[in-house]
Amino acid sequence: MARWNIHNVSVRGVSACVPKKVVHTEDFLFFDKEGAEVFNNTVGIRERRLGPDSLCASDMCQAAAEKLIAELGWGKESIDMLIFESVTADFHPTPPTSCLLQDRLGLSEDCFCLDIPMGCCGCMYAMNVAGNMLSNGNIKRALVLIGDTALRMGSMQDKSRVPLFGDMGTAVALEYDTTAEPILIDFHTQGSGYKALMTPHGGFRHPLTPESFVQEDFGNGILRAPKDTLIDGMAVFTFAISKPAKTVANIIEELGIDRENDIDYYLIHQANKLIVDRLVKKLKLPVEKVPYNLESFGNTGGASVPGLMVTRLREQLQKDEPHRLLCSSFGLGLSWGTMLLNVKNLVIPELIEI
Amino acid sequence: MTNLEKYNDIFVQVFGADIALLGDNYSKETVSEWDSVHQLNIISLMEETFDLMLDPEDIMACTSYNAGKEILARNGVKL
Repeated sequence: MARWNIHNVSVRGVSACVPKKVVHTEDFLFFDKEGAEVFNNTVGIRERRLGPDSLCASDMCQAAAEKLIAELGWGKESIDMLIFESVTADFHPTPPTSCLLQDRLGLSEDCFCLDIPMGCCGCMYAMNVAGNMLSNGNIKRALVLIGDTALRMGSMQDKSRVPLFGDMGTAVALEYDTTAEPILIDFHTQGSGYKALMTPHGGFRHPLTPESFVQEDFGNGILRAPKDTLIDGMAVFTFAISKPAKTVANIIEELGIDRENDIDYYLIHQANKLIVDRLVKKLKLPVEKVPYNLESFGNTGGASVPGLMVTRLREQLQKDEPHRLLCSSFGLGLSWGTMLLNVKNLVIPELIEI
Repeated sequence: MTNLEKYNDIFVQVFGADIALLGDNYSKETVSEWDSVHQLNIISLMEETFDLMLDPEDIMACTSYNAGKEILARNGVKL
């Protein structure tokens, strides 16, 4: 069983950065007015932030990190670990972006740096690794940066994918703290489903060749080449509304959690409204405790959960009173994770726009 | 309402189906409206009606009236 109770680790702060440019569903040329309205009403993503091709996920994460470090008042030499979680690194396949960020952020050469490319569960993967490494006190402070520019991985003429995603970079500050409540993290993997979310060419299984760039028309407004990331919508949907829900339900039952009284907020990966609504209904969650930001930011990948904290719960989580969060993420792999954590008095800078 | 009546009602809700036609020949192949969205609607109603959480394999396999019955049976629902 892949489950951890991470002791001695507190979340100190969260920040997020998005591009200034807002793209409305109506702006996409592959939608007519009626099609855009249907998309807005069903998928629920009315607008998203999209940066220029010159903007990398690491740039947004860097801006989020700089602001968070400053507001926390942390000395940069005190940061022992930097994790960069993203599937849109600065360079492919090397060097690791975390090493570049160590330099760009002016962190110490004694800082341990690590890249993790795990997609929509990325925040939980990165917090799991950082949390477990902090837990024994060998290192004291960690910065977890999570961000993606997912649209740039695929074809801009793929109607099944383009309107779903938005750009965002986030930073989460973790610290060794012997008084902290444990953080529970539970993970599962179904590798047999990997084809549902993949980029067929460009890795070492299928290196790029001229045919990697040849676009094929799959109908229904889907034009893409093998170098482009694809989504098998039906497979992803069936996975997303089933596996994560079962796991969350099991954890709620096992721990004897009262849905109404024991959890302050349920943070669900903002894949799309259909999926989140379905999970809320299946899990019988109190809707007033389930924040959404997908209508304004779309699916921001691993940044989804910390993005919700900044854009929808900033005021509440900054208060000097404890909040218990139950988080559910799902995506690439296929993988899904659940995280239960207590936060209090968080430092959360205002959303940064660049 | 019996479980079978509840199950049939799902097809009435999703397709406006005539109950007399529900049987061996009612499937994705014979019902023109039976696309992925309708399939997910059937699944959603099955889960809500019978308080189930179905696996992805069941959701994908729900391509006919009879397949739905088999899925319910596998999940302990007697029709």
